[in-house]
Amino acid sequence: MNIIKKAKDNLFFILVLLVYLLISIFRPTMAFESVKNSAYYIKEMLIIMPVIFVLTALLDLWVPKDKIMQLLGKEAKGKGLVLSFIIGSISAGPIYAAFPISIMLHKKGASIRNIVVILSSWAVIKIPMLLNEAKFLGPKFMIIRWVLTVLAIIIFSWIADKIIKDEDIPNKEEVKVGIEINKKACIGCSLCVKTYPEVFKMDGKKAFVKDYDEDTVNKEKLNEAVKVCPVKAIESDL
Amino acid sequence: MDIFTIILWLITLVFLFISFKKDGAKTKKALKMALNMGKGMAISIFSIILAIGLILTFLPPTEIASFVSKQSLFLATVGSALLGTITLVPAFVAFPLIGTLVDAGVGTVPSVAFLTTLTMVGLVTFPLEKKEFGTKFTLVRNGFSFVFAIVIALVMGVII
Repeated sequence: MNIIKKAKDNLFFILVLLVYLLISIFRPTMAFESVKNSAYYIKEMLIIMPVIFVLTALLDLWVPKDKIMQLLGKEAKGKGLVLSFIIGSISAGPIYAAFPISIMLHKKGASIRNIVVILSSWAVIKIPMLLNEAKFLGPKFMIIRWVLTVLAIIIFSWIADKIIKDEDIPNKEEVKVGIEINKKACIGCSLCVKTYPEVFKMDGKKAFVKDYDEDTVNKEKLNEAVKVCPVKAIESDL
Repeated sequence: MDIFTIILWLITLVFLFISFKKDGAKTKKALKMALNMGKGMAISIFSIILAIGLILTFLPPTEIASFVSKQSLFLATVGSALLGTITLVPAFVAFPLIGTLVDAGVGTVPSVAFLTTLTMVGLVTFPLEKKEFGTKFTLVRNGFSFVFAIVIALVMGVII
């Protein structure tokens, strides 16, 4: 079962590998050529993806949900639209680099329309590309195309927003975050420390999480500590 | 590395440093999340890249250009828009290529259609986009991008 599910999840990958296998048998030079062609993209990916992932995770943890909602949510209207265009246009990297950031922003309350704007402008109206375009196609071409593309994105993101509901976007299970204490809520009663001193400690007037090993955590004791907290300040997904 | 990528790296590193100063545990968690995200997307991205390599071998952009330049305007526009959806080439290849297309007398309309679908509509990125955003979102976004790529091309043909 597990293998079938894994294969199904990676169907595209298996397909690509299969094609490579076939052409390495029948046309080895073409297989070699294809790998060589991929080299540039591999380099591009290695340069851009790590920074995208780290930035996405940092924004996810530090920027509160209501802030994102206020900046990019349904109520943000024109301002949200402009901000989305800016995010997309100043970005570097291929369109799939926009996926993790967009998913995170949507999870935090950005509207479908703004997500479409970010993805689309990330793909076509990159500022780093404008000079290149003017060089090869002329400044007039570049400016007209740029204006038309922005207009097109404004129109079709509006239509897309009418068609797609928030529920249409899969809600992926969140990455395990471990044990966390909401410092603002914690009243320093130290009940958690008394319940599970191996994981919790007091530092000043607040409770803290010690370094712990996920595998050896006693889940019963942990759950008890979560329950015993009078202000429900402990969160855990272990 | 272009200047924008460098700036992105700098911003992220500064952000990471501040984050670490303020809350080490939280930052560690962020890095762990980033690693998980990377693991989740790695196979998909790798497949996309290998697929692009294949497509570029079997359907080199220069051949697309020579094919398109021989067609009638209508066929050239639709054809180049369609071909643009399969391939995904970096900007520094795309613009010179479009430049040669225009110089070879292909005309603005098919060239712009090609350029727009080249970057916006992705057949190779479809599986990944579907996994992350769902089928409906992916279909709608790619569909509209395709239609508007042709609209943009036509309007440009009228203006220029």
